[in-house]
Amino acid sequence: MDNIGHKTVYEPDRFIKMGSFASWKEMAISLFQSRELIWRLFVRDFSAKYRQSLLGILWALLNPIITVGIFVFLNRAGILNIGETSVPYPVFALIGLSIYGIFATGLSVCSNSIIGAGSMVVKINFPKISLVIASMGQSVVDFLVRLALVIILFIIYGIAPQWTFLIFPFTVLPLVLLTLGLGLILSLLAGVFRDVIHLVSFFTTLFLFMMPVLYPAPPAGIFAALNAWNPLSHLIVGCRDILISGSFSDSHSFLWASAFSIFLFLISWRIFFISESRIAERV
Amino acid sequence: MKNDTVIKVENVSKKYSRELKHTMLYGIQDISKNAVGLSSCPERLRGGEFWALDDVSFEIKRGETIGIIGANGSGKSTLLKLLNGIFMPDKGRIEIKGRVGALIEVGAGFHPMLTGRENIYINGSILGMSKKEIDKKFDEIVDFANIGDFIDSPVKHYSSGMYVRLGFAVAVHSEPDILLIDEVLAVGDMAFQLKCMEKIKEMQDRGVSIVFVSHNLDSVVGVCQYALCLKAGQVKAIGNSSSVVSEYRTMILNKDMTTKDLLNLKRTPYKLVEITAIQLQGSNGEEKDVLETGGKLILRISFFAHKRIQKPVFGVAIYKSDGTYIYACNTKYDNIEVPDLEDEGFITYTIPRLNLLSGTYLLTVGILEEKISAFYDLWEKACQFNVVTHLHDHGMFYLEHLWDVQNIKN
Repeated sequence: MDNIGHKTVYEPDRFIKMGSFASWKEMAISLFQSRELIWRLFVRDFSAKYRQSLLGILWALLNPIITVGIFVFLNRAGILNIGETSVPYPVFALIGLSIYGIFATGLSVCSNSIIGAGSMVVKINFPKISLVIASMGQSVVDFLVRLALVIILFIIYGIAPQWTFLIFPFTVLPLVLLTLGLGLILSLLAGVFRDVIHLVSFFTTLFLFMMPVLYPAPPAGIFAALNAWNPLSHLIVGCRDILISGSFSDSHSFLWASAFSIFLFLISWRIFFISESRIAERV
Repeated sequence: MKNDTVIKVENVSKKYSRELKHTMLYGIQDISKNAVGLSSCPERLRGGEFWALDDVSFEIKRGETIGIIGANGSGKSTLLKLLNGIFMPDKGRIEIKGRVGALIEVGAGFHPMLTGRENIYINGSILGMSKKEIDKKFDEIVDFANIGDFIDSPVKHYSSGMYVRLGFAVAVHSEPDILLIDEVLAVGDMAFQLKCMEKIKEMQDRGVSIVFVSHNLDSVVGVCQYALCLKAGQVKAIGNSSSVVSEYRTMILNKDMTTKDLLNLKRTPYKLVEITAIQLQGSNGEEKDVLETGGKLILRISFFAHKRIQKPVFGVAIYKSDGTYIYACNTKYDNIEVPDLEDEGFITYTIPRLNLLSGTYLLTVGILEEKISAFYDLWEKACQFNVVTHLHDHGMFYLEHLWDVQNIKN
């Protein structure tokens, strides 16, 4: 980053005056230049989180194991009727929960990332988007740990995934972008209204039960109608399909949900970039 | 290259709102407007808003250093944050050439659980250094911070001094073209402060431009060629650092006086009355500049009045040699009716028992007009004296005191 001779101008409504091409270009350059910082912040959060912990990263497993355990119990005891799943229920539920975790954990850490960074937001000028992206890394790591458990279960139950599961990293990308898109906006809003943090934890719990995470998508009824319009639901189902069967059950819905995610991310990124200095005044 | 303007601030204003309620409401309004590509009309004040910075302009060239002084809340830190791009101005324009290094809060971004080594890398990348640059500078940073074996301990075990040293070390080694410093050096011990000053001098010689915010007026005069004095967000004085600092000092002495009055007075072709001599005398009236704690101080102030001056006020202020402001009084506060001044004459100011402990002190003497809103003449720190003492007591003053040990029962 050699900035010698580089001229920076600060003025009101800078991005409006710049014109959209120049400002998108600046956004892209700034994001590209932040890659090392994002990595550092990610490593910082990661190592600080587990430094004084005995189980360390294994904590990421505890929550899904308990939740899945409860549902397996409720299912076996006949209290809940989950219905038929294509793979044994514990595998099905753990995959669903792991994928949903990318969204739930991601949204929670992203919305906290700016206000959690403390005085550095107000005292140092750096691309604040790196805080949000770096914290998103936490939820991806949690997911990878859970994925390891899923693979172990695959082996235990003797399930052989289709080779097409190799495209999974690409199918999970829209989900990451959707989470980031919402996370960017929520991290800004949380800077102004702290209520956002509580709302996020409320809605992520609500969504867990509303969407086909722990149970297969219902063919009809009010949830089916709601989920048909919910891009998050399509992304989760799509990702799970790829892991279990290697093909989409509803590729059309997955595609529009992905397109929506990319669009949302771009819009949020833009809003975040324009407003980050205003948030610094208000954190 | 030498005459390149690196910072150009043109008519910059910044508004704040007084209440949190407004802050939240206006914040959402502005962001929504910007998000759909509309201007947030930042140049208009809404209810509950005020200008924290009002029409500030200045320029700094390569290698120049400017000090920013002013009372708390006068807008110094806001100005620094605008220069750093943390906030955007609401009016005006700021142009910056080159890489900016900021020491607005040292160690901001340090993670208490992580080691000094890890934090150097994190802080370095926040300040825009690449891993390669940090690797190259790492030993230098550790050496400068002088934290030795603690480099691999979590920074939460560091003393506040070590914390500041590490933060400062990283910031100055990020090789900025422009360095912004906000009153951070006050934390370290004497040795480290000197080291910082040396480093700052070295950077100045290399052509780094520095913006230096400080309450320590002596260090502003020492470090900066130029100074800018802010009052309630407005530039009250700008120019040569020593003259701006002395104007600021008189402003503090006379809160009601505006700089305009002061400048007008200074610009009068001749003074209506001037101080012609200040003489310090010991107990027996002999001239001396070494006094003893508990002894008598007599100050003889001679003047010459070109015109008849009605109801003048004499004032005296005492400073410690490091610039600490100790005491000031004037004849008006003491309800002394000074006769009209005509031609020449002198008055004396006596401290019967000088309670100062050993050290070097400076005296400022002035003649003010009736409402003490402007000076006829002012001798700033014109007279120096030393105090010696036979006491073992420490500090600046001897304070009268009693001990009572009667209640200890054996």
